[in-house]
Amino acid sequence: MARTKWGVSWLSRKRPDHPPLVFVDRIQNAMRIVALDICGEKAGLKRGQGLAEARAMRPGIEIIAADPAADKGLLTSLADWCDRYTPLVAMDGANGLYLDISGCVHLHGSEKSLLTDILSRLFRLGIEVRGAISSSAGLSWAMARYRPGEIIGHQEAEQALSPLPLAALRLPLETIETLARVGLKTVGDLIHLPRAPLARRFGPSVLLRLDQALGFEDEPLSPRLPVASLSAERRLASPIQDEDDILGLTLQLAKSLRQSLEEREEGGRLFELVLFRVDGKVFRIRAATSAASKNPERIAALYRERLQAIHDDLDAGYGFEILRLSVLKTERYVAIQEDFSGKSDQARSLSAFADRVLARFGPESLSMLVLQESHVPERATAFAPIADIAELAVQQRLDRPVVAAPPSVRPLRLFRHPERVDAIATELPEGAPASFKWRKILYQVARAEGPERIAGEWWIDGEDALTRDYFRIEDADGRRFWLFRDGLYGQTVASPQWFLHGIFA
Amino acid sequence: MVQTPMTRERLFALRETIAQMENENVPGLLKAARKGAATGFEQKIGVDDAGVSSHVLPLGIAALDDILQGGLPLGGLTEIRAAETRDTGAAMGFVLGLAVLCRGDQAPGSSPILWIGQGMTGAEAGAPYGRGLQAYGLDIGCCIFSSPRTIADALWIAEAALSVPVFTAIILEVRGNPAQFGLNESRRLHMRARTGNVPIFLLRQAGEEEASSALFRFLVAPAPAAGRPLPDESMLAGSIGNPVFRVAVEKSRTFAPLELLMEWSSHARRFRHLIPETTASSAKFQPTYSVAEFPASAGGPDGADEMGRVMAFQKAS
Repeated sequence: MARTKWGVSWLSRKRPDHPPLVFVDRIQNAMRIVALDICGEKAGLKRGQGLAEARAMRPGIEIIAADPAADKGLLTSLADWCDRYTPLVAMDGANGLYLDISGCVHLHGSEKSLLTDILSRLFRLGIEVRGAISSSAGLSWAMARYRPGEIIGHQEAEQALSPLPLAALRLPLETIETLARVGLKTVGDLIHLPRAPLARRFGPSVLLRLDQALGFEDEPLSPRLPVASLSAERRLASPIQDEDDILGLTLQLAKSLRQSLEEREEGGRLFELVLFRVDGKVFRIRAATSAASKNPERIAALYRERLQAIHDDLDAGYGFEILRLSVLKTERYVAIQEDFSGKSDQARSLSAFADRVLARFGPESLSMLVLQESHVPERATAFAPIADIAELAVQQRLDRPVVAAPPSVRPLRLFRHPERVDAIATELPEGAPASFKWRKILYQVARAEGPERIAGEWWIDGEDALTRDYFRIEDADGRRFWLFRDGLYGQTVASPQWFLHGIFA
Repeated sequence: MVQTPMTRERLFALRETIAQMENENVPGLLKAARKGAATGFEQKIGVDDAGVSSHVLPLGIAALDDILQGGLPLGGLTEIRAAETRDTGAAMGFVLGLAVLCRGDQAPGSSPILWIGQGMTGAEAGAPYGRGLQAYGLDIGCCIFSSPRTIADALWIAEAALSVPVFTAIILEVRGNPAQFGLNESRRLHMRARTGNVPIFLLRQAGEEEASSALFRFLVAPAPAAGRPLPDESMLAGSIGNPVFRVAVEKSRTFAPLELLMEWSSHARRFRHLIPETTASSAKFQPTYSVAEFPASAGGPDGADEMGRVMAFQKAS
């Protein structure tokens, strides 16, 4: 386990001659220092000190309000960056990261070289980091904070832990104070004490933390990102910037993935291309296919559309140094034998078309109409993204047999929001208007059919939903409209309004 | 303009040149199409001497089929235009009728229809409505919709769709006459449609007449609907039955202007030619409450009428 830790003092880098810098936040109704830089520490300021007191000590300090969200963002981007070492990166509180490097060490030489690599690279990015490698998360936490830079084997855990203060055990502050009151100051004091009285007096958390640090108790880490089932990556000696180079490498990565996919008899549905930029920024580009695929050319073509679509957001900067292509979602791949009729070819080219469009314009860009169980016109059908269609069709087939639509009169085009019209000379109380004005043009009604009375859905709209009377209306020129009167005469105080909801052929 | 023999001759020459440019002068693509058809296992597509695919869809109306030289070409760009936004319903009805005819009796699920509605078309004239499409005779399970933001995106999707031999028909709906969709773009679409043998219908809302590579251009306007038929084959007075369109052929190879009334029967799924005599008596469909046909006194579309307009009188000539 490796463990890195940093404060937020990275902001103050490259400022050779500056006043002490402190970050303050309101804690228990007082402005207190939550973080400070090295100059501040030298000046005798402490974390947790009141701001007024600090000002009195050093009038020249520079004060910045703490921004936990920004700290979190920094930590997240660092976690992204650390993805290059292991896919299992877990966040720890506000200022730590766990990397589960079991099985990854041999890729980087030894544990020592891995740790040095992480620390030196992060230092060069301008971040002050402390880290340690050990066999348990708890021990790594302690070592990184109190004796950074060490690598502790499984056997040396007790020996390494003993001289550390009790705070290294991640215990709450009150417990530490209570323990200190009875003279227990270091972890070593605690290790050899009888366990039962300890647990009785100080609660189970003390022993749990101790066991976790010593590696007797297992402590699961929850990785930040799901682990891809397959991935291939390429580290580059000199960074690349050109889109064509990226695509070329993607194609190569896809080719190297193909072998593993074939062995599993699977095809990928969701791919992710991770681009590590030289300065530490990480881009993740996802692309989904509508059917399981393992064809490298097709995957690369998918990314060609995707890169075109996000062209402006993808800032290559000084180039990318690591490219990784992962398969996030796989599905059983059924090999189809080619036939001469070209039928299977048709289905495949449809999904190829869908993939291209979806990769370029996003998953919402292609949709199909689905029928819904509702008699309110605007709810009766809806557009559903095409990606869900396959599952939807299966569900519908299972649920009920397809019922033929009732032979009702419905317009070809429906306005999302019914448009207000001024109806003139309406036949009271239930008739159609003799003329109406829509978009500032007066229409003479030549023929009208109706009303078709559609009541509101009280279980959605509430009890006072208005009843609509729909009329199919043809004007003197033959244009056919679908008008409705929102409410009945006498139902409400104000006379009901007329709306135009759709246009017929 | 007085047509002297000289000017007429020049006119014919020019027309011939245009016809050549639009239909014949495509050696590379056409050759590819011919070669593909000859070697592949797909259905052989006849290519007649004029260089136009003879794969056509007869509409069942003799007068129109004559102008279309046999029927609607199933491989190429056809433009359908509505002069005003409020006429879009009629134009859409006509296009959908064509699409239904293109689909024929194919099993549901195969060979979908792609509807590309660019930008504000859905907001200006309403979005396609599923129940309505169903009632119109279209299987909505075979329709794929896309509403790209810009015309460039719409064209990209259309071209991508034309490059795969999947779709029965592609309907591209645009609004007005966008500058990014000029002669070059329409030509590209047309060429791709012809090589892929897919019909593409350009539905233009509120658009002007514009030179394009479309083989045919129709101007569709609404017309009073036919009544609902009664069992004794008379019409129910005052009822609104099958939709009727006033279709004018604005562009065709025969240069013969034609305007006719077509009725779409969603039950029979075919067009029917309405002989104008029967519908010309539209005078009998007077509104129940006749309102004097004066223009609105205020809030009209664009201010005062032009000078010299005479109301309620027949034209002098």
